[in-house]
Amino acid sequence: MSEPFEPKIIAFVCTYCTYAGADLAGTSRLKYAPNVRIIRLPCTGRISPMFILKALQKGADGVLVSGCHPGDCHFTHGNYHARRRWTVFRALLEFTGIPLDRVKFSWISAAEGAKFAEFMNSVTEDIRKLGPFDQYKELIKETEAPATL
Amino acid sequence: MTIQEQYKTRVRELLSSGTVKMVIGYKAGTTADRRRPLFIRTPEEADQLLLDSACIANLSGYLIAEGLLSDEKRVGIFLKPDGIRTINILAAEAQLNIEQIIVLGFDITGQEVTALQGETAGDFSALIESIKEGAPEALKNPLIDQLEQLNPKERFAYWQAEFSRCIKCYACRQACPMCYCRRCIVDCNQPQWVNTSSHTLGNFEWNIVRAFHLSGRCVGCGNCDRACPVNIPLRLINARMAQEVLGSFDHLAGMSDTQEPVLASFKKDDSETFIL
Repeated sequence: MSEPFEPKIIAFVCTYCTYAGADLAGTSRLKYAPNVRIIRLPCTGRISPMFILKALQKGADGVLVSGCHPGDCHFTHGNYHARRRWTVFRALLEFTGIPLDRVKFSWISAAEGAKFAEFMNSVTEDIRKLGPFDQYKELIKETEAPATL
Repeated sequence: MTIQEQYKTRVRELLSSGTVKMVIGYKAGTTADRRRPLFIRTPEEADQLLLDSACIANLSGYLIAEGLLSDEKRVGIFLKPDGIRTINILAAEAQLNIEQIIVLGFDITGQEVTALQGETAGDFSALIESIKEGAPEALKNPLIDQLEQLNPKERFAYWQAEFSRCIKCYACRQACPMCYCRRCIVDCNQPQWVNTSSHTLGNFEWNIVRAFHLSGRCVGCGNCDRACPVNIPLRLINARMAQEVLGSFDHLAGMSDTQEPVLASFKKDDSETFIL
């Protein structure tokens, strides 16, 4: 019997809000899906769309991006800049056919440990339903063989 | 007097009076329907100048060649409205001083070339404003609509087929007046963001990254499209991004030399329906 599919999910979070929220989820002893690998960054403004592409390139089935609610940014407006960038990037992903169900965005504050745990669970569940990102994985496999010219 | 002769006279005047040190225009190319850039430094060289409906390339990329404008002398350049928008963007991004540029404006409708009145980029602001009014219509493209009807899988397959032809020659980057980074992200290998071999994955990423970097900056001059040796419809993806930026942020690139770049500015009430 083959093992059930466990999605690999990468979460890019800002250190001041969502990472602190994750910390709160931990100290509150909330359980959430172990499929999520968190990468901590100074601010959502630091999250380049390259990170999302890189995560997919390295075989992630889903990507989460999360930071402070608007108005709460430690650097006053990093998340506003990030929001514009995501709007554009999402349109680009959609137009090139990368399913938007696999790249999710959220605001989670340092006080929202429960929201964090819930969000991780629901996203893991969604992506488990979608299954592995086969389209992209085929492209990854191709890179392991010498290029055909 | 034809428009070509009018402009030849004007170029000679500009050069002989010392107003500009150089004029960038067009001359005959290798075939009858191709044009080459011409860099005119003396009034005599203006004889080679051509101006007709084949002069479609956006020449503004030559303005940011290293050192060209650093002596603070003026340079004249033949530009269509999209070229004027381009130098507005370059000025807004602090790549050039717009006062150093003398614009020889022209426009092409069908086979006809018409002169645009004005000398500096600012003189064309009324024309540029009217472009924004017409932009929602002008950016429409039947192929974009067709692609949006498909499901993501089919769209992915479409772009995969298109990008699989890419040979990563970076001609699109070289031809684009907006691609002026001294160190492009694909030239960095610590970390290696994009696969550099011509596998489809790396091609896919390269074209996504370029489209993202041009979002809210591309004027749709089509230099990349024409430069692509394998005919990837690059302008299509850039036009879709321009639609998005116009729809979401009411921004059309290159309206003025002081316009804030769309991804370097924000409004507190920008839409965020997709954020959970």
